[in-house]
Amino acid sequence: MLALAATTVLAAPHGSPAQEAITGDVVGKPDAPNKLVFRMTTDGPRNNEPAYAQGYSKLFNDFIAKHSDWQIELQMMSGDIGQEQARMLEQAKSGSAPDCAAVDSFVLPLFKKAGVLQSFSPYFTKEEIDQLFPFIREGITGSDGNIYAWWWSTDLRVLYRNKEIVPDAPQTWDDLKKAALSSVEEGMEGVLFNGGRYEGTTFDWLANFWAQGGKLVDDDGKPIFGEGENRDKFIKAVNYYRDLVESGAAPKRVATIGDYDDFNAAAAAGTTALFVGGNWQYAQLRTALDPDEFAKWVFSPLPGPAADQRSTGTGGWTVAAFSKDTEKVKLCAELARDIYMGPANALQEQLPTRADLYDKYEVFSSEANKTFAAALKDGQARPGAPVYPEISNQIQIMMGKVLTGTQPTEAAVDEAFSASLSAFKRS
Amino acid sequence: MMDASIAAKSPRRLGRRTAGRHSPFPLPWLMPLILVLGVFYLYPLLDVFRFAFTNVSLLGRDEEYTLQTIVSTLSKPELLQILWVTFVFTASSVVAQQFFGLFIALIVLHGEKRRLFGTTIVRTTALVAWVVPGIAGGIIWKMLFNEAPFGGLNSLLRVIGVPAVQWLSDPHMVMWSVVISNVWRGTAFSMVVMYAASKAIDPVLYEAADVDGANPWQRLIYITLPQLRTAILVNMILITIQTLNTFDAIISLTGGGPGRATEVLSLYTFNVVFRNYDLAAGAVLSILMLAISLGLALVYARFLPKGEPS
Repeated sequence: MLALAATTVLAAPHGSPAQEAITGDVVGKPDAPNKLVFRMTTDGPRNNEPAYAQGYSKLFNDFIAKHSDWQIELQMMSGDIGQEQARMLEQAKSGSAPDCAAVDSFVLPLFKKAGVLQSFSPYFTKEEIDQLFPFIREGITGSDGNIYAWWWSTDLRVLYRNKEIVPDAPQTWDDLKKAALSSVEEGMEGVLFNGGRYEGTTFDWLANFWAQGGKLVDDDGKPIFGEGENRDKFIKAVNYYRDLVESGAAPKRVATIGDYDDFNAAAAAGTTALFVGGNWQYAQLRTALDPDEFAKWVFSPLPGPAADQRSTGTGGWTVAAFSKDTEKVKLCAELARDIYMGPANALQEQLPTRADLYDKYEVFSSEANKTFAAALKDGQARPGAPVYPEISNQIQIMMGKVLTGTQPTEAAVDEAFSASLSAFKRS
Repeated sequence: MMDASIAAKSPRRLGRRTAGRHSPFPLPWLMPLILVLGVFYLYPLLDVFRFAFTNVSLLGRDEEYTLQTIVSTLSKPELLQILWVTFVFTASSVVAQQFFGLFIALIVLHGEKRRLFGTTIVRTTALVAWVVPGIAGGIIWKMLFNEAPFGGLNSLLRVIGVPAVQWLSDPHMVMWSVVISNVWRGTAFSMVVMYAASKAIDPVLYEAADVDGANPWQRLIYITLPQLRTAILVNMILITIQTLNTFDAIISLTGGGPGRATEVLSLYTFNVVFRNYDLAAGAVLSILMLAISLGLALVYARFLPKGEPS
């Protein structure tokens, strides 16, 4: 208990006068006349990593020093992002949402469609908006041309490998299978990827469908992945994963993996040499592994059906305003700009959504981050269709059935498509 | 005669006096309770019934009254499988929790009778599982069932030379893994109920059985179980409803997968509302859960003794 208390005291931000502005979950003076409620992920002063928590504390304190007549109440989301975002949408509809909040980029279209977000257009210059990557700009722009959020970080999926066991980066699906089988011969588990009931399962795998030019939905948001050429591409991509499991190139347990941390654990335990993970895991591996072990781990773009057919899923977080009070919307936009658009990217090494920020912050000049940034050219965001969450749910169910061999691929794909269409008709 | 007459009149007088001490108008005193129940329990329940007859969604479309939600939700092709999974999960959990709860309670009682060391530790240990939140319990079991080479249970099995088990990736095995985790958590409740009810059994019955030369098995069959009948049935009602509503432990252990292998009705309802944003379909499924719970409770209640034997 004493050790825990001592750790807590040491880890807690203290010492500098600026940091005194954070008391409990409130940033700023308790008697400040204006109050903004900000609901956030762990990207803030309550981050579990002490260095990040301290960095965010400084950013928030600096921000509130410039807005001394405001106090910000910080509300934390739980780890179940899907549920948190659905609850927030319900609150927004009933008028009880927080003033300002972190909105996951993949549910942003739902929030825009529900008409619960306030426009950020008056608070960002045209130059700032134009500097955003095109898919980011498109994601935050509403049908009226206004922007309804600020998408500040993005991410992508890559193939991690232990180069001592897999020296060359697999370029194609066949290459990956061969590399994984040879790693199994050396006592490894084979290639690991998300295959459980988890959004990551869909998102990580979709790259294999997109790499062939497949489309999930049409321009009206109607599911089309189970029709015509799309169906063939979809089945081909599912069979690729199925073959990895059936050939022993991937363990059967991938059907139960629904957490990127499992890959870090396997890498730390030395039981795998290959896994499909997110770019943010590179920094996590650096922390989790001994320097000698970490030096063995490298990453490369996800393999495609052919070497020139590549894709990777890109996601990330936005900040958006629900309040109808224009002063609060303005402060929310300033918070997105001053804390998240750049400083937070640099602090957590989260990929910025603007090309110019890669040159502005030294941390993004590292070889790893340069490679990640270059890989963004193959990036593809999830479709901004309201039916996407149900498509994702159906893909997760289908993947479980296929990877465990309980249903033929074609039947499982057709079932997923039929259920997605049915959900679309009800939406 | 005199005495009998006084005796006959006394309760009436006593009743008048008792009534005189209390307000003849109980409504003002009951109003706070009625308000609380109405606002926090009845209104949401009525709203769920209302939602079931609409197409309301979390996405903000115009709400319309329709029967289509009920028809489309109850005719979903996956619903039969979901109900079967729910049945297997609930029935297995209830039977196992009842059995282990009674078993541990009898062991503890036996230990107490013989003044053995450790009975309190056994009771407390079982209760620890009960107070662990469902989500945390699911995470604990996920680590134990992890099929990686460093997974908890498989590492132990390897030490004793037993091949690894596909606890979560085998679609036939995964249901039993989920049941094990649920029974681990729920047994403590049954144990407490059985322990309390067993304590209330009149020791004279056992003394008489001893005199008649009954063996332990006969004491269990002819005294303990009949005396515990009411407690067992009440316990069955409670744990059935509790198990039907369980989804937190499953969502953190398997998420309902692989595929739909462990997707019970409560988790399916949760997914329909929070993944598919379909509030109306969620309301229909909630009413279905309510109907199943009430139906089972009524079946159990038929077996409850109707009154004290004269």
